Amino acid sequence: MLKVAWSSIRTNKVRLLLTSFAIVIGVAFVAGSFVFTDTISARFDRLFEDIATGVDVVVVPDEPEFGNDFGEVAVSMPESVFDDVAAVDGVRVAAPSVGGIAQLIGSDGEAIGGFGPPTLGFSWTDESDLTPLTIAPENGRPPETADEIVLDVATAEAQGFAIGDSIGILTTGPVTEYELVGLANFGDEDNLAGATLAIFEFSEAQRIFDLEGQISEIAVGAEPGVTSEELADRIQKVVPEGVNSITSSQSTAEQTAEIKEGLGFLTTALLVFAMVAVFVGSFVIYNTFRIIVAQRTRELALLRAIGATGGQVTRMVVLEALIVAIISSAIGVIGGIVLAMLLSAAMSAAGFGLPEGPLTVLPRTVIVGMIVGIVVTVVASVFPAVRAARIPPVAAMRADLARTTRKSLTRRTIAGVVVTGIGALGIFIGLFTDTSEALSILGLGALLVFLGISTLAPIIASPVASFLGWPIKKAYRIAGDLAVQNTQRQPRRTASTASALMIGVALVVFVAVLASSLKGSINETVAESFPSDITASSSNFAIGVSPDFTEELRTEDAIGGVTTLNSGAVRVGENLDTASAIEPDTYEGVLNIPGADPDEIAALGATDGLLVFDDPDDENDGLPLGLEVTLEFPSGSTTTAEVVGTFEDDLAFGAFIMTRDRWFENVDPVADMLVMANAADGSSLDDAVAAAERAAEQFPNVDVQTQSDLIAEFESGINLLLGMFTVLLALAIIIAILGITNTLALSIIERTREIGLLRAVGMSRRQLRRMIRWESVIIAVFGAILGMGTGLVLGWAVVQALDEEGLSTFSVPVGQLVTLVILAALAGIVAAIYPAYEGSRLNILEAISYE
Amino acid sequence: MGTAISWRAPARVVRYLTGRMGMPAAVAVTDAKKIYGSGDAAVAALSGVSAEFEKGKFTAIMGPSGSGKSTLLHCLAGLDTLTSGDVRLGDVSLGSLSDKDLTIVRRQKIGFIFQAFNLIPTLDAHENIVLPLSIAGEKPDQEWYDTVVSTVGLSDRLTHRPSELSGGQQQRVAAARALVSRPEIVFADEPSGNLDSTSGAELLEFMRRAVDEFGQTIVMVTHDAFAASHADRVIFLDDGQIVAEIQNPTADSILDKMKQLGD
Repeated sequence: MLKVAWSSIRTNKVRLLLTSFAIVIGVAFVAGSFVFTDTISARFDRLFEDIATGVDVVVVPDEPEFGNDFGEVAVSMPESVFDDVAAVDGVRVAAPSVGGIAQLIGSDGEAIGGFGPPTLGFSWTDESDLTPLTIAPENGRPPETADEIVLDVATAEAQGFAIGDSIGILTTGPVTEYELVGLANFGDEDNLAGATLAIFEFSEAQRIFDLEGQISEIAVGAEPGVTSEELADRIQKVVPEGVNSITSSQSTAEQTAEIKEGLGFLTTALLVFAMVAVFVGSFVIYNTFRIIVAQRTRELALLRAIGATGGQVTRMVVLEALIVAIISSAIGVIGGIVLAMLLSAAMSAAGFGLPEGPLTVLPRTVIVGMIVGIVVTVVASVFPAVRAARIPPVAAMRADLARTTRKSLTRRTIAGVVVTGIGALGIFIGLFTDTSEALSILGLGALLVFLGISTLAPIIASPVASFLGWPIKKAYRIAGDLAVQNTQRQPRRTASTASALMIGVALVVFVAVLASSLKGSINETVAESFPSDITASSSNFAIGVSPDFTEELRTEDAIGGVTTLNSGAVRVGENLDTASAIEPDTYEGVLNIPGADPDEIAALGATDGLLVFDDPDDENDGLPLGLEVTLEFPSGSTTTAEVVGTFEDDLAFGAFIMTRDRWFENVDPVADMLVMANAADGSSLDDAVAAAERAAEQFPNVDVQTQSDLIAEFESGINLLLGMFTVLLALAIIIAILGITNTLALSIIERTREIGLLRAVGMSRRQLRRMIRWESVIIAVFGAILGMGTGLVLGWAVVQALDEEGLSTFSVPVGQLVTLVILAALAGIVAAIYPAYEGSRLNILEAISYE
Repeated sequence: MGTAISWRAPARVVRYLTGRMGMPAAVAVTDAKKIYGSGDAAVAALSGVSAEFEKGKFTAIMGPSGSGKSTLLHCLAGLDTLTSGDVRLGDVSLGSLSDKDLTIVRRQKIGFIFQAFNLIPTLDAHENIVLPLSIAGEKPDQEWYDTVVSTVGLSDRLTHRPSELSGGQQQRVAAARALVSRPEIVFADEPSGNLDSTSGAELLEFMRRAVDEFGQTIVMVTHDAFAASHADRVIFLDDGQIVAEIQNPTADSILDKMKQLGD
């Protein structure tokens, strides 16, 4: 049987090549995600180990328990902790350090970075055992006075800074100028993963990071004979509460874990796309094997006639699938390694420099990749294989192979509706209930919906083809007519070929609908809540906009009202929420707070109270007036305020609104998130913008935007994400298009005699190509329409589910959908190029004598 | 439909070239050689065949398997090309035509009846009959169409698909298709080979009538003496050469000749 399976693979090279492409892509994505993540972890592991050489114990304050996603909260401990630690028995050497966010001012006067890799500042220490920073002799010297600075080699090179240059540094305060005296390496690297490093003299670092008398970290080296664990325990006994003494290997592990978590989104996204690719690929595989089995009916029947059992025939087909699966999965794993290489190259190009090092290919990667490829292929081939076993031996003798197995439509309809229903239920559960497995249930539901619709698709394939084919028939008469009829003769084949495309298109439409709805909602929110002419924000979240800028702006003549908005994470009891802070004296006309009574806002200012969110659609929520609420900030400080009113927009303001004064008492650094301003009466918008920019001159990290800039920025962010998703989903669409090519190529082999006949009675090659092309277009457009319907319904459901989260608008991007259908038709034409060429090239004589 | 012009233009040229046909020979073949393979492996399917097939006559080509009779038919019909020699359909030398022009010649001047798989399964009987005209973008001559359809006795079967027709009916549809475009010549390759004797006889009877009543030229390949007896003339082929010829044959005279050649 192995021999028969193998020879069948050899004779069906081209069709199996197209099939294996689907497997290769899927497996490559699976393997690529693993290789990429493993490689990054391994490289950072090694980097941190390098850094920690010589350090045995690290003493650090506790991280905030929440709300520190962007490193907004600078944690520190009193300087006195250092003396206590240094005095512990077994400590050979110890060094304190101070760190924070420090943005460099580029030669163009603008702050460098902000979004993207972090902009870090550290204090210098002379204890070379305890610091990863080294300065090579040719690269100058460490900072010795308050006005000297050292940068990392890579940043200095990228910005064109040389020793002796004067460099501006921005922290929460105003810009300070320093003289560049040296360039440092970070371990063996020129740079730490794309971050910019500014290194200060110790007390200057304390001053600039607003940490006088405080330190951020203590690195400790142990006496010989004292283990890290032992020393960490001893130190822990002398440090105050809220300070941790951990071994450096533990610290390394924590930092690597943090990086892995940061990359978790990327890994998940890659794996999701891998799954989509594999799922679409399984349709292509299923189709190919079904057609191959149908074409080999006679051969298989002959095997049955000479004594093979049905089981043997099934095993033979599955074996064939297995061989294809093993070969293409192996290629897929190699493809995955290449993909991971491309990804890390792309990340480096985007400025996220990864540490150098080899790729990490774990046995797990290879095993999982192979298993995914093999299981999917074999499962997809099982149905066709079982069908093959049902071929009666007598079929070998039958001249006419046109077997019309008409299965009951009722059964198919019931099965399709049930599967779609269960899938829809899964989606519903995933969207509207709070289970930890919500996402998996949602995904599984979507998968079932796709399967269900592809089960139902053959029922509507024929009428849809007639409808789509009508203009084609009109335009191309017999070639068009035959094209339409060809799509209708095997509705199941047409439907499952189209279904593969449906999945990709549905996901693209879904993402497009979501993006479009999100844009609509944001537009609405911005227009409603931020009616101001101008908005100023910081290019670096952790630094924010200096309140000095806000005051400066208020002095400009061209500027009318100026107010601020701050927001961030707070904790109420066990619940995490978002709170914002406004200025009740200046908000009017600049900031709009939907559903808030002006009197209540006045009361907020007068009593320094609290406004709470009150859902207009929900009678039973909201907190009673007069209630005292205690809010905890990420910095650990708490504040208690009385509820004096309500508001209705939680998308812009979160659950609570307090005064800016109360906010500033509890956050560190003291800076504004958003500053909003209107043009003064009689001043034009341009004048106001010019005035705001003038005010921002001394604050290089402050970006001034008009309302339309702001909306455009939001939209471009969404568009970027949409573009990324679409590119990745395009892969699923490409697989589906290859599936169309495959089906057509196989159908043409099946119809060789028919094509020979058409050519014999006078059909030109051109007409033949046209026939095949339009068949392809009908299949593609059918798939696109199915996908569009599914995607719209899915999108609608998710938008409804996210209504609570502020996604208030359901918007259909009609233009994009129309483009998508046109693209699908073009894809159909492309998919038909090879089959049409093959078909038109068929030798008439061979075709009419084809067995 | 701008594309229509491009394929109709050469058609007009061919029509012009073939329009001056008035000669009795519908198709003539001169010193036809067809060699498969090369060197030591070379096999001659036709080794110098010359023949003329008169207009309005029914000619049968007979011979044992491997005699080259099918190859000769394919070359006459422009489905295959000769290694050397020439086939002239009327005034046109087929060897000089491109694939495109050959296609048009087949569409307009030639009708086909194959042994099996003559019909497109997705098209009904009517659509199959008018297929060559549909391909050319032309309308059938209604009167002629009715005549052909009623002669083959398919008037009540026109909306049936091939799978709903018997083997004999399918072959009659094929015959109607071969005639409906009024081709210069119809080529038939064992048209009754897959049919039971009654259906076979009906089909051959019909082909005979097409010659007698409509003046159709038919060239048929067969190995069946009974089928060949419907022809006006039988050509015997062996080893790629014409070895004998009978005018106005009967089944007996053919069998005699076959026996004689076999010895």
